[in-house]
Amino acid sequence: MEPESAVLLHRLPPFVEPPEDLRAPALTAGPITPGELDDQVLAFPARRPPRKWYVAIAFTSMLAAVGVFFIGVTFRVGIGAWGNTSPVFWGFGIINFVFWVGIGHAGTLISAILLMFRKRWRNAIARFAEAMTIFAVMCAGIFPLIHVGRPWLAFWLLPYPNQRGLWVNFRSPLVWDVFAVSTYFSVSLMFWYLGLVPDLASLRDRTPGGIRRVAYSVLSLGWRGAADHWRHFEKAYVLLAGLATGLVLSVHSVVSFDFATSIVPGWHMTIFPPYFVVGAIFAGFAMVLMVLIVVRETMDLKNLITDFHLEVMGKVILGMSCLMGYSYAVEGFTAWYSMNSYLHHAFMNYITGPYGWAGWLTMTCNVAIPQLFWFRRCRRSYPWMILVALAVTVGMWFERFVIIIVSLYQDYIPSAWHLFKPTVVDFGILFGSFGIFFTLVLLFARVLPVIATSEMKADLPGAQPGNGGSHG
Amino acid sequence: MAETFAVLGLFDHADALLAAIGKVKSQDLGGPARLEAYTPYPVHGLDRALGLRRSPLAGMVMVMGILGALFAMVMQYWMSAVDYPIVTGGKDPTSWQAFIPIMFELMVLFATFTAGLGMLLLLNRLPLFGHPVLGSRAIRSITRDRFALAVEAEGSGFDPRAAQAALEAAGAREIEWLPAPDTGPFLTAVTIQRSLAGIAAACVVAGVLTWGGVKLMPVLRPMVHMEDQPRLSAQQPSRFFPDGSGMRMPVPGTVARGYLPPPFKTPEQAAGLVNPLPRTREVLDRGRAEYQVRCAVCHGALGDGTPTLTAAYGAKPANLVAPNIRAYADGQIYGTIVLGKNAMPAYAADLPEDARWAVVHYVRALQRAQNAKDEDLP
Repeated sequence: MEPESAVLLHRLPPFVEPPEDLRAPALTAGPITPGELDDQVLAFPARRPPRKWYVAIAFTSMLAAVGVFFIGVTFRVGIGAWGNTSPVFWGFGIINFVFWVGIGHAGTLISAILLMFRKRWRNAIARFAEAMTIFAVMCAGIFPLIHVGRPWLAFWLLPYPNQRGLWVNFRSPLVWDVFAVSTYFSVSLMFWYLGLVPDLASLRDRTPGGIRRVAYSVLSLGWRGAADHWRHFEKAYVLLAGLATGLVLSVHSVVSFDFATSIVPGWHMTIFPPYFVVGAIFAGFAMVLMVLIVVRETMDLKNLITDFHLEVMGKVILGMSCLMGYSYAVEGFTAWYSMNSYLHHAFMNYITGPYGWAGWLTMTCNVAIPQLFWFRRCRRSYPWMILVALAVTVGMWFERFVIIIVSLYQDYIPSAWHLFKPTVVDFGILFGSFGIFFTLVLLFARVLPVIATSEMKADLPGAQPGNGGSHG
Repeated sequence: MAETFAVLGLFDHADALLAAIGKVKSQDLGGPARLEAYTPYPVHGLDRALGLRRSPLAGMVMVMGILGALFAMVMQYWMSAVDYPIVTGGKDPTSWQAFIPIMFELMVLFATFTAGLGMLLLLNRLPLFGHPVLGSRAIRSITRDRFALAVEAEGSGFDPRAAQAALEAAGAREIEWLPAPDTGPFLTAVTIQRSLAGIAAACVVAGVLTWGGVKLMPVLRPMVHMEDQPRLSAQQPSRFFPDGSGMRMPVPGTVARGYLPPPFKTPEQAAGLVNPLPRTREVLDRGRAEYQVRCAVCHGALGDGTPTLTAAYGAKPANLVAPNIRAYADGQIYGTIVLGKNAMPAYAADLPEDARWAVVHYVRALQRAQNAKDEDLP
């Protein structure tokens, strides 16, 4: 009988336990029961944080204060405090916006797309990655708001009935961006909060009393784990994952439309949407990898966030790095094949112009260095992982620098060419945004469950009736 | 003793819970009652064992997603093609293809909020802080690692002892009787739904009122940013000058160039003056520019005295191309500009001498143009 029809008629050979080296690796290092999982993960908020935590948050909040100060300078002086000047009107503000929105994409990929693909290893890292998504989008949101010049009028971006009788221009990709990023933030927040509700209920029931218990009670909405509720909850979670999957692909595509729908040489390319999405996931995974290394070491979570998790993330980074290399090659090919002298000039300017170093730095960091992850030893060793993750973070920031600054400072009219020189305010806000991001991450690790315990419990061996704990 | 809401039995394992459901179902529960399970995580097969139907959430989400997309399309089409048609990049105002990204985003937004809030508020009726299970001893184990099966009373005549016997027979480790709550919950899903609906309705009403108000009263100015400038307008006071006035008198004994006091008291006395300017292209262009700034608002762009302001203000500006004015000497028109006439104010302060004479030339050109004959055609 043909194999296909054997499958259709369920005439399969009896199931044989696969040999050791073919079995899926265990998701936790060492056995753990649901109760122990709670004791390990949910105990953090109740304990006094270690000294390290105070040192870290002192540093990051200082950095955040620097950022807030320079944002204040921007409000007082105006956008003139930045390096933006003709013809580079999109300077650090837009670079940082694209960079931070991109960082967020890894969280949604892990929480939504990997859930759809039933990659069970995502459970341990999904909560942290989702939190990082939300904080990254918050950081990203700062930049367009302060870049509009009069941020107290930023609500003009929304179509609301106003006394001017005008509506926003719905044919502008910048308006699409407003909708895409605000939808992305709301959906990520909803997804994150929904997953948190059962864990908050666990936290509520193990907190003896006081303000923390009140807070956890209110936030957990009186969740009581009824079977009647779980059936709706699971359905909602899968639906949200499906919706977020489409959304995560659309958000950075829309961000890329800001560039691709214009006629600036170097921006007007059809590769831009997939290229941006890949770059976003790439940068986001690097950031998640870096933060998770710190988290599993300082919070003693090595048995839950295992070497296997880090290795899989390394593989994703490697795959994305190859796609980035492909995208850069397509950019070069398009420039050459277009036989358009402006496009040709723009591309050569990326690699040989005054900012050529930035172009080569981008390619080295994003394409060359991650190739180290072909080696298992590098995927399993902290120094190499941190080296690659840092390289990717730097490389992806400079990629946006190349796309925005290098394309803009030499446009069609040579008399308008002008080198871009960032000011101290530009750098202050950039570093300040890192401070804001990591301050929020540290606060999150302090007060909320950093691992989705109810999701992990459902997948522990023996958690589900009958079939030995396999999920689905 | 208070009435019993439910009898709760705890189990150590999901398998034990599932097996117990079958056993308890087959026994007498001591009156009208329903079974409910409380678990730390979703247990597969539980909904089938309890006889729960599939969640209707997927259908709700699909409907709301489609509504979101339709709403986005109708909103964008109405705003950009109907209410205030706008041409961008040479595209027709009705070109809808550019509306697709926002359609997609609003579809996802509507669907997400339906999935999240619909699940919590509508289907699960959360938040609910007064539920008896939340006050039980067992809740600490339920949200941690144990599984509870509850026999919940439905109506009167429930006998908790029979339920306890059934649970014990099914192998429950600990049994707990939960008393019915004597006070209602203080913050429920219904309260929140009503508040949200109220806020949404208020937003819609405010939006419609604002939009209608704008159509009725277009001159209201909520924002004055660029009009609010650090300078003195005419007639404004100023503390900078000792006399408190922002306007300054000219230096005594001086006259500004082009503003010599006229040597006549009435326009008729000026009739003898001769236009000193040549009738060149430059002079006529200047005359037209000044005419359009100063004169056209009342006398009309063609000089025929029927401009838009006439109807609104009830003024009757002269028809400059009528025979009586055509009969004026150049100097008489000049004199009228300098001194004003009837409701027309003097323009001596606004126009220097050569500009006045340029306007006179342009008025002559208008008169000629409006009374052209066939033989004037080239």
